[in-house]
This record gives sequence, C-alpha cells and structure tokens, in this order.
Amino acid sequence: MRNWLNALLLLLFTVVMVPAAYAAVDAATCLGCHGSMEGATNVSQEKYTKSVHGSFDCVMCHMSLKGAQHQGLSGKADKATLELAARISPKSKIDPIAQAACAQCHAEIYEMYKASVHGKNVIIKKSSDGPVCTSCHGSPHYIQPKASKESTVNHFKVVQTCGKCHEEKDLSEKYGFSPLVMERYLESFHGRKLKVGYSKAPSCVDCHGAHDIKSDKDPSSPVVGANKIKTCSKCHSGATEKFVAAITHKPLHPIAHYAEIILIILTVSVFAFICMHVLLDIYADIRDRLFRKGDKHE
Amino acid sequence: MNNKNIPTEIERFDLSARIQHVIMFTTFLLLSFTGWGLKYAYQDPASAWIRFWGGAKMAGIIHRTAGITMLLDFIYHQFYLLNLARKRDLRLTLVPTLKDVLDAFQNFMYFFGLSKEKPYFGKFNYMQKFDYWAVYWGMFIIGASGFFLAFPVTVSSIFPMWSTQWIWDVIFIMHSDEALLAIVFILIFHFYNEHLRSEVFPMNWMWLTGKMSIEQLKHHHPMEYDNLFGGKSEKKK
Repeated sequence: MRNWLNALLLLLFTVVMVPAAYAAVDAATCLGCHGSMEGATNVSQEKYTKSVHGSFDCVMCHMSLKGAQHQGLSGKADKATLELAARISPKSKIDPIAQAACAQCHAEIYEMYKASVHGKNVIIKKSSDGPVCTSCHGSPHYIQPKASKESTVNHFKVVQTCGKCHEEKDLSEKYGFSPLVMERYLESFHGRKLKVGYSKAPSCVDCHGAHDIKSDKDPSSPVVGANKIKTCSKCHSGATEKFVAAITHKPLHPIAHYAEIILIILTVSVFAFICMHVLLDIYADIRDRLFRKGDKHE
Repeated sequence: MNNKNIPTEIERFDLSARIQHVIMFTTFLLLSFTGWGLKYAYQDPASAWIRFWGGAKMAGIIHRTAGITMLLDFIYHQFYLLNLARKRDLRLTLVPTLKDVLDAFQNFMYFFGLSKEKPYFGKFNYMQKFDYWAVYWGMFIIGASGFFLAFPVTVSSIFPMWSTQWIWDVIFIMHSDEALLAIVFILIFHFYNEHLRSEVFPMNWMWLTGKMSIEQLKHHHPMEYDNLFGGKSEKKK
C-alpha cells in the first residue's frame, strides 16, 4: 500500500516538476521508493541519515541515472567523473559514476589511491579484483566516521577488511602475495594485542599504509629495505636491520616449525605422564584405604 | 630408639625459602592469568578477561612486572643456595640421582600392586625433585624468552643475521608452549600432590609453617628420617 502511494506521489511529483527537473531532488524523494525496496536497490533511510554522508542528496553521487523511472531526476556527470567511471566499470558494476563521484570531494585521497598498487590495478589494468572505495569502506550509503565502532576501516576492524581479499587463495596466487599473511599476522603479538583491545598495536595500515599502499616489489613501499627500518622505528625506537627482519608474514620457517613440534611432543608427554601418575596415585590411595587398613597407616 | 632425642616436628623450609616460594607462586599466577588472555586472544572470553585485568596495557604491565619479579626471585634463590654452601649448610638433597629413577619405577610397581612397599624416599622424592627442577626449566625457557620478547630491539642485536628469519618465532613458541606446559604441570601435578591428595587436603600447610611432623617424615621420607635420627626404620630395605 505504502509503495503504491509512494509511486503515485513520485509520479505526480515528476509530472509537476519536470520543467525544473535538475533542481531540488533531495534524498527524501529517492528514499520514498528506495527506502522500502527489497534487495540491492534498498537504502535504509535510518542508516543512511546516520552515515557521514547522510545529509547529501542522492544525485550528488548518482549523477547519471538510467531508466524511465528516473527520468528527469538526475543531472549530468562532468567529464572527469565519466572518464574515471569508464575506467573503473569492470570493478564497479552497479553505478560506476556514483563510485567515481567519491573523487570529486576526496580529491587528495583519490590522487594517493591512483598511485597505489590497488588504484593502479583498477584504473590502469582495469581489473575487477582490485579494490575501489566501497570495497573497503563498505556501502557508500552507510559510511561511518573512522573512529566509529561500526566503521569497517577502524583500527580494530581494518584487519578483517584487508583479509577479505588477502586471505583469498585465488587472489594470492594471481598477485603473488602469501595467503598466510593474515594467519601469520593474527598469531603474531601485533595481531593478538590488537584483538584484546590494545590501541597501540599496529593493524595492517599502520605499517603498509592505506590509500597509498604499495606493492612489496615497489622500492617506495614503507615495508621494503631501509623504509622498513623507518616504519618499525615508529614504535620500536632504535630498530635495526636485524630487528626488522623478525616480521615478514612469511610461512613459518622449517626450524621454527620443527622446534614447535618438539615442544608440543614434550608438553604432551609430560602431560600424559603426570596425568597417569596422578590417576594411579588416586587409585592406590583408595585401594590402600579400603583394603589395606592399618597396613601402612597406623 | 631414644624418643627423647626425636623432636615432634622438623623444619624443612626456612623463612627465606618460604618467602621465595610465595613470591614465586604469586608472580606465577599473575603471569599465567595475564598471559592466558594473549595466548588465547581469539577465544571468546579472552578480551573480557583482559579487561578484567585493567585492559591490554595494564595486563602487559602486570605481566612484565611479575616476570621481572619472578626472575629476580630466581636469581635470589641462587644466592640463597650459595649462602647455604658458604655456611656448609647445603645438602645436595635435590640433585637427581639414579635412585630417583629406581624409586619412580618402584612407585609405579606399588601403584599396580606389584610391590608392597613404597620406595625408600630421601628428603625429597622424585616428584618433588621434578617440581623443583621444572622451575629451572621454566626459568631458562620461559623466563629467557620472555625477557627477549620484552626487549626485542636490544636483544635482536645479539642474534646473527641468518637466524632472524626464525629466531623470534622460536622464542615466541618457546614462551607460549612452555608456559602452557608449566601451567598444566602446576595445575595437575603440584595441585594434586600438595592440595588434593586425601592426606593433605585442602593444602599442605608446610608452605606457611615450613615444618613437617616426624610421623609424616618417617612415613614419606624414611631415608631422611633414618639419616637424621639414625634409627632403623622398619621400612628400610
């Protein structure tokens, strides 16, 4: 019923407003329909208004809407946005123009991204793997401030966000990064301390950077060569070449692997021995008390 | 045997040893509690447990302080032993011998009902020696690795370049796995022997009094009894 009313209202609205179509199409207009739609076209009004972009009109990003139902509701994207949209369209299938629109306001970040290994993969190689803004930041309608608990890129959640791709076996084979990166980070002191809420523990981006992330084959990467010493020194003052070699996220070295096995065998054998010893002692104690009264104890 | 020469109880641990033990177990518990949260960081209660200890930063401070205190306690113990040796008061009653292996064997025979007699234990039986030397193992493995982990930048300079690929993983595994071993050992073996055994429940009060009754000594450490009082214990082999 409400849908019907909304549609009717929109129709009336459209008819009346066609002459002035480019003006005054606010979010409420769009949410009239999209707020109650099912599936991918749904936008939750409540969540949208609470997001950092909640005060925006939809058409600020959705500059070029398709379909008769949107006729007259949107304007025209500028040339730069159209160009970028064409480049990122293999990755951003739903509305590449809206995705490209991020660059309009976030121009500085866009420049960093464009030069990063992620940005090059999307913009130059036109790959459908590399991340665009929303791959990490989540739905553009619900973006939260970075400090927020709900943000997908906050200090404590960004590791999982990176892991969405960096744990993927297919992607790791294609791009030559280790699929164990995440596992090795999570089991490290850095990962554990972050998990239990230590805000000074580094997440991925503290060492690798975020929008300006570089490939480890790129000499300007903050975790390559002398840069790595500088990066580690941010927390570990006095870091040396020897020290920074400790963290690589590479699979466990065979020596460490066998050392672990030896220690596990030791632990399990001692465990088995003491359990057996305790159980036998309990058994003998009960036996003595029941059947050997006065034999041992006076 | 002249009963008048035999006291009713005998001191086995002097005040210093008792204080060393209290410091050892207090720091041990603090280390276990705080370290546990990090070892099992990805198990559900870990984060709440760490918050209970005042958050990750405070838990880290407690862990490091307790660790240093325990190492100092251990080092103090070495001086305590040296001092006993200087006073010619040090008896090597805790040194493992072949007899301990035989005692363990006989004890198992006794458990299975194949021997009617408990072994002829000395001042410290093989279980107590195991307890004592386990601390040394823990100090060298867990204490040293913990010290390395607390000062990684400084310590990294002593390792050769070719070891940097794996040495920190080995140190981490040593610290974590052997801590688990130590906790399991204390929780099962030491707690059973000194708290849960029907004879000592709820605990062996010797950690406070340092004293053992002569009856207990005669029963559990017959060789020591015979050594001290020269009697011919009926249990003597």
